Amino acid sequence: MKAINPIIISGRYTILIPPLLLSFLLYCCDSFVEVDLPKSQLTTKTVFENYHTADAALSDIYASIRDTGILSGMSYGVSNQLACYSDELTWYGTPLSTTESFYSNALLPSNSAITEYWRAAYVQIYAANAILEGSKSSLSLTSANKEQLEGEALFIRALLHFYLVNLYGDIPYITTTDYKVNAVVSKLSQSDIYQHIELDLQQAALLLSSPQSNNERVRPGKSAVYSLLARVYLYSQSWTKANSSASVVINDIGLYTLESIQNAFLKDSRETIWQLQPATPSQNTDEAITFILSSTPPLTTSLSNSLMESFAANDLRKKNWIQGISNGDLIWYYPFKYKISNTTPVSMEYPIVMRLAEQYLIRAEARAQKGDLNAAEEDLNHVRRRAGLDSKENLDKQALLDAIQDERRWEFFTEYGHRFFDLKRSGRINQVLSAVKPGWDPHDIFFPIPQSELELNPKLLPQNDGY
Amino acid sequence: MNNFSFYKEVKAFYCLIFLGLILSFPPVSANPIERHSLSFFQQHQIQGTITDGTSPLPGVTIAVKSKLKLSTISDFAGQYSLLASANDTLVVSFIGFKTAVIPINGRTIVNIKLSFDTTTLQEVRVNAGYYSTKESERTGSISRITSKDIETQPVTNVLATMQGRMAGVNITQTTGVPGGGFEIKIRGQNSLRDEGNAPLYIIDGIPYSSDPIGHGQVSTLFPNLASPLNGINPDQIESIEVLKDADATSIYGSRGANGVVLITTKKGKSGKTKFTLNASSGAGKVTRFAKFMDTEQYLAMRRRAYDNDGIATYPKSAYDINGTWDQTRYTDWQKEFFGGTSAFTDLQATISGGSPSTTFLLSGNYHTETTVFPGEFLYKKAGFQSSVNHESENKKFKIQFSAGYTLQDNDQPSSDLTSLSRGLAPNAPSLYNIDGSLNWANNTWQNPLRNLSAKFESKSHDLLASTLLSYELLEGLWIKSSFGYSDLGYLETRTSPSTIYNPAFNYDSSYSSLSVNTTNRNSWIAEPQLSWEIETGTGKLSLLAGATFQNQSTGQLVQTASGFPSNSLIYNLASASTVRVLSDNETLYKYQAFFGRINYNWKQRYILNLTARRDGSSRFGPGNQFAAFGAVGAAWLFSKEAFLLDSPWLSFGKLRLSYGTTGSDQIGDYKFLDTYSISGALYGGTAGLQPTGLFNPDFAWETNKKLELALETGFFSDRIFLTAAWYRNVSSNQLVGIPMPATAGFPSVESNLRATVENSGLEFTLRTINLSSGQLKWTSNLNLSLARNKLLSFPGLEGSTYSQRYRIDKPLNIVLLYDYTGLDSQTGLYQFRDFNNDDKISSPEDKQIVADLNPKYFGGFQNSLSYKGCKLDFLLQFVKQKNYNYPLSSAGAMYNQPQQMQYSWQQPGDTGPYQIYTTGYNSQAVDAGSRYSESSASIGDASFVRLKNISFSYALPLPVTGTQCTIILQGQNLLTFTPYKYGDPEFVSSGFLPPLKIITAGIQLTF
Repeated sequence: MKAINPIIISGRYTILIPPLLLSFLLYCCDSFVEVDLPKSQLTTKTVFENYHTADAALSDIYASIRDTGILSGMSYGVSNQLACYSDELTWYGTPLSTTESFYSNALLPSNSAITEYWRAAYVQIYAANAILEGSKSSLSLTSANKEQLEGEALFIRALLHFYLVNLYGDIPYITTTDYKVNAVVSKLSQSDIYQHIELDLQQAALLLSSPQSNNERVRPGKSAVYSLLARVYLYSQSWTKANSSASVVINDIGLYTLESIQNAFLKDSRETIWQLQPATPSQNTDEAITFILSSTPPLTTSLSNSLMESFAANDLRKKNWIQGISNGDLIWYYPFKYKISNTTPVSMEYPIVMRLAEQYLIRAEARAQKGDLNAAEEDLNHVRRRAGLDSKENLDKQALLDAIQDERRWEFFTEYGHRFFDLKRSGRINQVLSAVKPGWDPHDIFFPIPQSELELNPKLLPQNDGY
Repeated sequence: MNNFSFYKEVKAFYCLIFLGLILSFPPVSANPIERHSLSFFQQHQIQGTITDGTSPLPGVTIAVKSKLKLSTISDFAGQYSLLASANDTLVVSFIGFKTAVIPINGRTIVNIKLSFDTTTLQEVRVNAGYYSTKESERTGSISRITSKDIETQPVTNVLATMQGRMAGVNITQTTGVPGGGFEIKIRGQNSLRDEGNAPLYIIDGIPYSSDPIGHGQVSTLFPNLASPLNGINPDQIESIEVLKDADATSIYGSRGANGVVLITTKKGKSGKTKFTLNASSGAGKVTRFAKFMDTEQYLAMRRRAYDNDGIATYPKSAYDINGTWDQTRYTDWQKEFFGGTSAFTDLQATISGGSPSTTFLLSGNYHTETTVFPGEFLYKKAGFQSSVNHESENKKFKIQFSAGYTLQDNDQPSSDLTSLSRGLAPNAPSLYNIDGSLNWANNTWQNPLRNLSAKFESKSHDLLASTLLSYELLEGLWIKSSFGYSDLGYLETRTSPSTIYNPAFNYDSSYSSLSVNTTNRNSWIAEPQLSWEIETGTGKLSLLAGATFQNQSTGQLVQTASGFPSNSLIYNLASASTVRVLSDNETLYKYQAFFGRINYNWKQRYILNLTARRDGSSRFGPGNQFAAFGAVGAAWLFSKEAFLLDSPWLSFGKLRLSYGTTGSDQIGDYKFLDTYSISGALYGGTAGLQPTGLFNPDFAWETNKKLELALETGFFSDRIFLTAAWYRNVSSNQLVGIPMPATAGFPSVESNLRATVENSGLEFTLRTINLSSGQLKWTSNLNLSLARNKLLSFPGLEGSTYSQRYRIDKPLNIVLLYDYTGLDSQTGLYQFRDFNNDDKISSPEDKQIVADLNPKYFGGFQNSLSYKGCKLDFLLQFVKQKNYNYPLSSAGAMYNQPQQMQYSWQQPGDTGPYQIYTTGYNSQAVDAGSRYSESSASIGDASFVRLKNISFSYALPLPVTGTQCTIILQGQNLLTFTPYKYGDPEFVSSGFLPPLKIITAGIQLTF
């Protein structure tokens, strides 16, 4: 027993170790569960302490607009889908694809493409609102920096709401990043949305100082804001304001001129008001990949017969902006505005979102509506002459307005849904489309509101008519 | 900021060193203990053979009574020898047999015959994580399977081995492609977050993260992102315990809400060195195909659809009926694309053995599996497992070390052809030209086999090492610490070579692209513990206290590359003309806890078990990082009460009750911070920054309250053993990603929700020994789980974003559907009930029918029969459930349909049952068809009874002793009985390869 005693004593000491150990651990590891930010994240505050990071946040919205949603040049963007939805393209692709549902005018509220347009646009709007809030609360950005960031963010917000209201009708207008507000937001009428868009653009015009923000025209400047304003006024039939806004851009002849047909869609085109930059310096446009056919019969789309037949034989646009592919017996035509689908050592073409020709045609229409027919004809003929067509002279008001609509069809085919929107606002859409589209219904002028969104926010009810 | 981090790391490191030091003292100071107590009397060499009456029993423990440290284990031939004095008494014990107490009485040869004892199954020690407990004395709810059940199954995923064998554990296979995943729910869905229901996996004491390691851009083959669980090797597993109730899981605190899966790997046994070799090979095929239209039925549908739409001339692109394609061809595309046979090969070798103080095990295995898709695809898995256990001579110091290393190499097509094959027109052209090249049929179709040249490849290596050091400070007082390290590397690539395009496009390799995801995850854990067992006169007190420090970091790099000079360079990023980094991310998860247990066992009749844990996690914001959890469990072994002690029929009876709390921190890292992250997109040469997500700095731990009452009874010497358990888990303050409409900018925000969810159910297990006399033995195991899930309360549900997903008093796993009321025999359109009477059928107002997709009940019925050297095991798995039918929307487009769609409406007066065909132009029919697929008609009975597993083995009678050769035949999913009409009823999302039925034959050699 004596031999064991020391062990018990040493045991007595050892038994003290655990409590000591635990108290030591409690002391030394209280901050164990705190972690630093991962290497791929910055706090929002840090982002807006420095112009470069704030600008990277803004740039990302343009990348997102280029790659996802409504304005993407991929086949899921509106340039392709609305061309199928209206009368510009004939479709040959895979059964049950989303493009087929556009082509047959059979959109369901659960359609993935219309859900994605809605989603991507509001994600981009959120990012724009985050820029506005971040910039306003920043203490270290200069006021010049802030004006540029906020001006561009307001432009983006207005642009996306503009497309949404024209696609979906009544929608919410989102001006904050607060999810508690945005999750239960209600729809506004289309005229209210237009008022918000106008206010945002007017403010952006004040904030953005120079007409063009950089040499490559890949960021919207004051001119882009006025161009969009002109379009907004055109769509809301405010002819005087449309006229004056378009004039601001057209009058800047030092910066903007109509290019030759061949050069209009090149990266350096002086007709461009705002274009998007591809992801890498060797990439060209997604539009070229989407539209150019390299085999027959087409696996995707070709230009519709009705569009091809509408062109005058000597229209340079038919010659230069359209290309055919033949298998010997039959020939299929495709949009060839953008001509390079693969990579080149240096990018040659950027997708152009806004160009001068539209401003001429906006002003022509505004002037014609106001009764200033001669000035309107002059603007129209600017565009016609560039396409190698005769000038129109001494038309009466209605004939002139019709001529402008035709011109828009030839000028803007497969560009961002211009054709569809023009048919809608001129009120001719049912008459024109029901003649060539067996699936066309009058309610198809608006997309359905995505079903998943109605389920998540019942305040977006009711669903658009007919769905 | 980095300074702080450095400071903290150093602190943690400092703690570890301190721990190491503490643990290194005891062995030094303890060595001289009780050196001299060996011989007071004259020692003799005692030897003998131990048998069960017919054959020798290896591995039996023979000890000398009151000198338990003098013990040995019988060798492979059942022989033993040890030193003892003439008047000593031997205590001979072995699991499954009655312990024999035999006085030596001066003999030197003592042969012992042990008799089979069913009651001792109650003596099995069950792993409860930080402690183990005797089966008969456990207070918690723990299900268990052992290597005996695992070895009979020719499967590679650990979850597959558990299917149908455990009450309360519902496992569904999500795809039949090798390397794919399983979904597991232990006692139902607790969290509203679909991804927040994973249990905690612990392998040899080391938590094993089951967070996905794949990336959506790359893992396009599987319905879910690649899971790391495939890295666990079922062959190496000794036992799997699933902890279910509060008593068992509260000690895991915040991570125990969804149950805990404890995996114990194989360990060596002392005795003669044993070599085991296993080799098997087999074949697998898809369990069930759905029936689709043949060419005649299909073309009739197409013609009728154009008729109905009033289109007289078939469009140019309607190749199937406009004369472009041969209208007499017929191909069963399902058979063509996933009707193949996959080949299985499995090799395994194990060496184990050791002395009473040191045991070891080394094991290696290699497995290959091809696919049922056409083409050459292969899944390879190789593993190595080692384990060394040692205890010091005086039995005061113990070390257990085990390490496993698994390699996987999976080569698959980049997309599952299942969905594609079902829609393809049955008269589509032949796949190949006469010369063997792919047939593009003059550009009229996209040859589906083109997809096979786009590949998905993944490689992973997975190391898991653990060490448990323990030292007995005083009699019954142990200080222990476990250390674990895990390192997982995963590389997955998906190629899209230019050869997937029709050669008519003249696309060269500059159109080829590659996506690469590299994920690395490593973690360390240290868990110092102190346990104390004190015997008081009539009771036993067990105490446990411990702490956990865990650090896990996960790095992920995702890149895409395009434009290669040649397709043979497609895996070389350096040769790509464009490389983009989509994501380069590293997340750190730190976790810290203190836990404790107090267990009091009075007279082996009344047992009280208290457990608690205080947890801290880096996933929560400052102020919310810590939370405490605890449970109380009690058991009453009423069969030991005097009035039942001599009962002729009741051999065991226990009532147990537990109540406690657990939690969950499965929400992802850094969610409480307001941040921007690198988006991976470039604009103007600038790498974009995007808002990371909606953030909420205030979310905190959720709690899950668990209550269980169970009765365990054994009758007639436990020949009939019945367990019945009732449980009720209520989770509240749920931590969820509240779904957001798109207008909020992001799909969800993390938040605590004041909703309360209840999971309740009954679980029964019945074990019977039907025959045990003579050579023929037959035992059965039946388990049955009835579970109910209910949303108890949800303040503000109406106005929340969940309003169209959940209903009060209904389960979480419901779908809201249109009410299908039949076919309008005049218009031929599907009709639905207009709930709000607004004369239009629209969502969500008219989607008000609730369908419950939770299984009503499920279980398994297992039987084992043995006769001499033959053994037969089989398991019937059954599930009573509803699930989605194949989506039957509008038919008539260039897309094949299930065969019953031929019974469609043709003219007024017809009753269908299916509606008017349309090629897509009849928008009323398209709308109605789409609603039909979201209506009460879209849900069908997907119950099934499956012969999940059957295994037959025969031990060849060999003349050589000490050598055993066994022939083994195994089958998995061989027979399925189901009313489900659209292929296999086991799936989570449709359109993926069904499970395979597998037959393998193998041989096992032991010597």
